[in-house]
Amino acid sequence: MSAAGVAPTAVVAGRPSRDIGIALTVAALWLLLALFVVYPLVMLFARMLGMLGGRGSVDFGALLALLTDRNQLRAFWNSLLLAFLVGTVGTLAGFLFAFTATRCRLPRAAVTAIDASVLLPLVSPPFTTAIAMIFSFGPRGLITYGVFGLKGYTVYGLGATLFSEALTYFPIAYLTLRPILTAIDSNIEGMAQSLGASRWRVFRTVTLPLTVPGIANAFLLLFAASLADFATPLILAGNSFPVLPTQAYLQITGLFDLRGGAALSFALLVPALIVFLLQRYWVSRRFYVTITGKGAGQTPFDSVSPGGRIVLIASVISITVVVAYFYALLLYASLVVALGANHTPTLAHYRVIFTDGWNAIRDTLIIAGFSMPLGGLYGILLGYLVTRHRFPGRRTMEAVSMMNYALPGTIVGIAYLIAFNDPPLVLTGTALIIIACYVFRYGPTGIRATVALLQQIDPSLEEASQGLGARSGTTFRRVTLPLIMPAFFAGLGIVFIRSMTAISATIFLVSISWTLITVKILEDITELSLGPAAAFSVLVVVIVFVVVAGISRVLREFRAPGAPGVSLFGG
Amino acid sequence: MIVVPRSVRRLVHATAAVALALVALLSGAPVRAADTLNVYSIWPENWARPMFEEFEKASGIKVNFVRFSSGEALARVIAEKNNPRVDVLFGGPVETFAAGIAEGVFEPYKPPTFGKLPARFRHPDGQWTAIADDPLVFMTNDKFLKEHGLNAPASWNDLLNPAYKNMLQMADARTSGTAVTRIFSVIEVNGRDENKAFDYMKKLRPQVQLYTKSGGGGTLPVGLGQAGAGIFFIVDALDTKAKGYDVTISFPREGIGTSAEAIALIKGAKNPEQAKKLIDWATSPAMQNLFAKYKINFVPAHPDVALEPSLAEVLKGTKIFPIDADYAGANRKRVVDRWVAEVLNP
Repeated sequence: MSAAGVAPTAVVAGRPSRDIGIALTVAALWLLLALFVVYPLVMLFARMLGMLGGRGSVDFGALLALLTDRNQLRAFWNSLLLAFLVGTVGTLAGFLFAFTATRCRLPRAAVTAIDASVLLPLVSPPFTTAIAMIFSFGPRGLITYGVFGLKGYTVYGLGATLFSEALTYFPIAYLTLRPILTAIDSNIEGMAQSLGASRWRVFRTVTLPLTVPGIANAFLLLFAASLADFATPLILAGNSFPVLPTQAYLQITGLFDLRGGAALSFALLVPALIVFLLQRYWVSRRFYVTITGKGAGQTPFDSVSPGGRIVLIASVISITVVVAYFYALLLYASLVVALGANHTPTLAHYRVIFTDGWNAIRDTLIIAGFSMPLGGLYGILLGYLVTRHRFPGRRTMEAVSMMNYALPGTIVGIAYLIAFNDPPLVLTGTALIIIACYVFRYGPTGIRATVALLQQIDPSLEEASQGLGARSGTTFRRVTLPLIMPAFFAGLGIVFIRSMTAISATIFLVSISWTLITVKILEDITELSLGPAAAFSVLVVVIVFVVVAGISRVLREFRAPGAPGVSLFGG
Repeated sequence: MIVVPRSVRRLVHATAAVALALVALLSGAPVRAADTLNVYSIWPENWARPMFEEFEKASGIKVNFVRFSSGEALARVIAEKNNPRVDVLFGGPVETFAAGIAEGVFEPYKPPTFGKLPARFRHPDGQWTAIADDPLVFMTNDKFLKEHGLNAPASWNDLLNPAYKNMLQMADARTSGTAVTRIFSVIEVNGRDENKAFDYMKKLRPQVQLYTKSGGGGTLPVGLGQAGAGIFFIVDALDTKAKGYDVTISFPREGIGTSAEAIALIKGAKNPEQAKKLIDWATSPAMQNLFAKYKINFVPAHPDVALEPSLAEVLKGTKIFPIDADYAGANRKRVVDRWVAEVLNP
């Protein structure tokens, strides 16, 4: 996350928009938001209360019994505990990486290596580490038994889930913290030291306090990510550590208790909303204060002692080795007949995914291909309108546009399933429902990037264009758009990555005509057809790497000299 | 002065136009054509796919299918009742179908083979018809047995041996038909004394390392030795052995349940004629003779289809009883709820 989360109200041009084009665009966006954000959530709530669609009136007693069921309460607290731990561990790891990358005077190649190893978990389907965990730990695990000779150790539970989620999500913390650590003027640290402070004291009293808002932001992002994740616990949490997103999923798909599943989802809404509001109104505001302007000549500050440097680098290398080990294992699993029984090399699994799995690959690419431009367009349009134009309900629009982003995917998916399965708008079974889900769930990254960029561009440029007689549409196309191209591509990139890797919402939306690679992987894992699951995962990693590299290239082309940089993952 | 590259403008225009055009295209519903059929398969893809390909060869009708575990498939069919997305529910234990009848999601249909099938392989009104029979088995890891000096379990009570503590994997009754058949087996061997059956299952609980989402989910952990043993359908167990894992298949002397695998026509199916053709084909020797060819170790339901010799060898001398479909259907929800409350989360 860059400085994108800042409230945009302060820099809005003071000119109310009377332009018909603007009015129409605003109306269209409101219609879309009403349809794909508000309507599903209202329907979910109504279904839960039994106001429609259900059989007969709602049995509040049963609903209350479900919500206060000892086991569901335990799942609720487990979810919070897991999210808290993932937030803590992941932020620590992310800080470690960011601090090492920015303060250890590493050679360029080493920093690139760190970036690559961090990118890997970020672009993989969220449960690929879970596959590797099953292999490595357990009574006959490659590591527990093979290396340490432990017997009777079982992998399933809090530890494994925490480990897997922290490893998957810590890159978010890294990407949040690294720009902040880079932005801190090293002259400040240098001055503190020349005033006699030890390195540790400089870290404790200067560097750390300046990073605190970023740390809090990273923690909250990880907390939300963990709270929304149901696939990892589904595979690794076992039966002794139920968590709420998984319970809601089983309640609906296993027991076909839609009402109960909805109720459980809304229970998740409470902590999710608290986290969102905290991030939106507290952290993002404090965030800005730490950006101290463009540093003049930076004097390199020797912030790490030689011993500390070795410890830091060693820690980073060991985590990198773990990441590399998991993905090497995944690659290996995709290339042998049956991991654990028959290690004859084979390409059979790749043949399987390109024949039997071809539909899923094709569908995923088509859906990702459509979600990508739509999500990018949606992001810049909405971001531009709420930043540069004044119209009634502007702030509400921004808040509403963030809702699907902030809510756990399970809730969004269930809400879509309920809302679009019956008339007036029947979308289940189409690709459109999946595309809409991705656009409105991940498009907001583009909104944030657009808002952040526009805040750094003087509105007088656009006013000049309009003063010369250009309509707002023309001004937008010819002046604003080229300036916010980086945000467009950042939005594209995130929507594409998520379209290839997300599952929590869309598992409810796949159908006979449209299925997704991630859903196939999950099915393969639950059936323990690990070869095809591993091959699919490798394929996803390769596709995403190629596309992200392509987008990053275009992004560099479009960045005007001196224009603020936008990280592809900045949100 | 900012000059807008023409390419940028073109890009934006193209993006918007393509996006709009294709959204319209993509919103279409599943194809309804003379020669296609939409199916939810409960059988895993690697068995369902060859069957549907053979059916296409025989009839010219292409089958679009997606695979779900039985609980998920049934949940979908019920959810889509007002606007069915598929024509046929294919495979899966009969008790799943019994639960579907209660929800009114099937259209009765009696295929030509109906009269030839034993009573337990067909619903009296033709709500479903069986295509195969699938007994449960115990499957144990050979190395685990050797390490603990044990013989393969030959009684339900053998699984209570302390050696199995935290070493069993079996399916979760919330999502798996295998689990429901297993639970009804335990109830049956306890003379339908539910309390006695639940006492046993509660005693078994500490032995269980993981209740898996799907019926076959525990087979590979047992094959790898991550778990010591489990209770699975014979098809899944024999499949594990065929993959090269060293496992032993055994049966409890008290007996163990078997569940017919069924097929049914969905009420309101959009391609009913093609659907009926698939049902005719699947319930006849035409499909069931192919089980051996594709190494699908189901016991054929049609009396004219011979049991594959190696499968007959495995089943020799075992005590296998059918699960009473009416009893299971009527009590499923209550029993599963009780299992969740008393066994899964005591």
